[in-house]
Amino acid sequence: MNKLVKGLAAAGVAAAMSQGAIAACGNVSIAEMNWASAEFMANVDKIILEEGYGCTVSLIPGATLTTFASMETKGMPDIAPELWTQAVEVPLKAALAAGRLHSMNAKPIQGAGEGWVVPDYTLANHPELKTVLDIIEHPELFPFKEDPSKGAFVGCPAGWGCQQVNKNLFKAYDMEAKGWVLVDPGSAAGLDGAMAKAVQRGDDYFGYYWSPTAMMGKYKMQMVDFGVPFVEMDHWTNCITQAMCAEPQQSAWSASEINSVVTDSFMKNNDPKAAAYITARVFPAAEMGEMLVYMGDNQASGEDAAFEFLLNHEDLWTQWVGVQAANLIKKSLQ
Amino acid sequence: MELFDEFPSLGRAGLRDMKKGIDFAFRDFSRANGEAIESFFDPLMFFMVWFENLLIEAPWPLMILIFASLAWLGARSIPIAIGTIVSFFAIGWFGMWEDTMATVAIISVATFLCIGLGIPLGILMSRSNRLQAVITPVLDVMQTIPSFVYLIPVVMLLGIGKVPGLIAVCIYALPPIVRLTNLGIRLVDKDVLEAAAAFGSSYRQKLFDVQMPLALPNIFAGVNQTIMMALAMVVIASMIGVKGLGVPVLRAVSNQYLALGMMNGLAIVALAVIFDRVSQAYGKRLQKHRQGGHGV
Repeated sequence: MNKLVKGLAAAGVAAAMSQGAIAACGNVSIAEMNWASAEFMANVDKIILEEGYGCTVSLIPGATLTTFASMETKGMPDIAPELWTQAVEVPLKAALAAGRLHSMNAKPIQGAGEGWVVPDYTLANHPELKTVLDIIEHPELFPFKEDPSKGAFVGCPAGWGCQQVNKNLFKAYDMEAKGWVLVDPGSAAGLDGAMAKAVQRGDDYFGYYWSPTAMMGKYKMQMVDFGVPFVEMDHWTNCITQAMCAEPQQSAWSASEINSVVTDSFMKNNDPKAAAYITARVFPAAEMGEMLVYMGDNQASGEDAAFEFLLNHEDLWTQWVGVQAANLIKKSLQ
Repeated sequence: MELFDEFPSLGRAGLRDMKKGIDFAFRDFSRANGEAIESFFDPLMFFMVWFENLLIEAPWPLMILIFASLAWLGARSIPIAIGTIVSFFAIGWFGMWEDTMATVAIISVATFLCIGLGIPLGILMSRSNRLQAVITPVLDVMQTIPSFVYLIPVVMLLGIGKVPGLIAVCIYALPPIVRLTNLGIRLVDKDVLEAAAAFGSSYRQKLFDVQMPLALPNIFAGVNQTIMMALAMVVIASMIGVKGLGVPVLRAVSNQYLALGMMNGLAIVALAVIFDRVSQAYGKRLQKHRQGGHGV
């Protein structure tokens, strides 16, 4: 077996020398997070690394916190294409400093962020609502089904990193006293379903969401300016994102940081060109939004969308890879 | 030969159009009827809100007393009553009182709803072979279809909250009571029915005085299974915004909080054991008349 591997490696090296592109890129595992944009990115990475750089790629499904924990402790999966870093801020810093993980790309998607959203018609019908500060004075516009005397603010599902933030901001803005209820939608399906149902009926809706997502584009949701500046980073990381936060202060949502993070073993054992690709790959907001709506409208999987993207946006992705790899990928797409 | 290598499928475009067609049809349906269906369930929802608040806001010693007396009335067994008291003290001590009360509220409503719908349905099914042939596959679907599949239409139609959660729980918990009621009545000895007819029993008398009492062991097994399945659905119901012990379990799952998950999971188990023992013992007591008779 060992001999066979060596033989193959030798053949690979020979091939690399003759072709100059396929270097020894071994097994790579990519985290396929359980939301659309991350699924899509993971599949784009998979196709490009496999076809362009000759890696053997496996996709590993996961969520932010579980995947990060596994990367940090076990070094698996190798690549998290879309890691929302605020949820894991403190341990990520430690892991980066210790060299267990490397941040390859600090802005893989442009225009991404979290915040509080309302449908566009809510803003059009109530022009006086300009900021979150205005909206929270009017709980009567967003009645809570189970207690119509209160307003419903749909927060994050139990267990998500943003759940604490919403809870603390809810407290900071004194929303309970103003007549609001913080609704836990329970799951991603619950959150999407609540928003979809409200918009389809033309009801006003106020809740947490993030971009880039097909939901934001499809239902024309608007992210609302908070009307207060971002509190300093120290308070955000040590209080607002924590379960124990005695006196959360009013703040805007912190500008989102998405990172493409890779493990140390990926850096050491794999083709440096593959790592360079991760650094170069930046999805502009428009293209990302387009692919997400494509996925939603056609019920396409991340893989379908990745092929669709590679076929239709050659001008974009060829800038991320070398000429040799680009040719190999193009050939594989035919 | 190509026919044998490649399965003749509808093709990507056709498949996509079909999926989209179904989705759009459902969307239109929910747009047109969603509000009406939702307001149909409003009284139920307000009852559930009221009931949950009642359980949460009642003083805890009173609630423990009520649970212990219910356990005693049902089971007539000191160990079960004491076990109930100890369990609820433990639940309260570990800070799960409110979540547990919310879970008890939805499980009680779900169980009563399922029994109220399931026993009559089971009786109807036992009357007619044709009806049985129609309902059995429906029950098979209800029990085996992954719950996430029907959560999507339920949420699109009714949003998130207590009523959709209750529907999700009942879809899963209803089949055993229907099946076992049907089975129990069908298993009643033909000779006994003949004897009842010979004594001039009316249809109604045969059903309520002969068949139902003789079917009780099976019906109670059904009630018991319904309660267990309803409790098993607590976590799924929490995924569409039902408060209760499922919420901390979900939080534990996504954050690897081992202790939190275990504690809330065990609280669900404790509720299940109490419900199970009490309902079993109650069922047995109802059948006391059997003891010493011809063993069925």
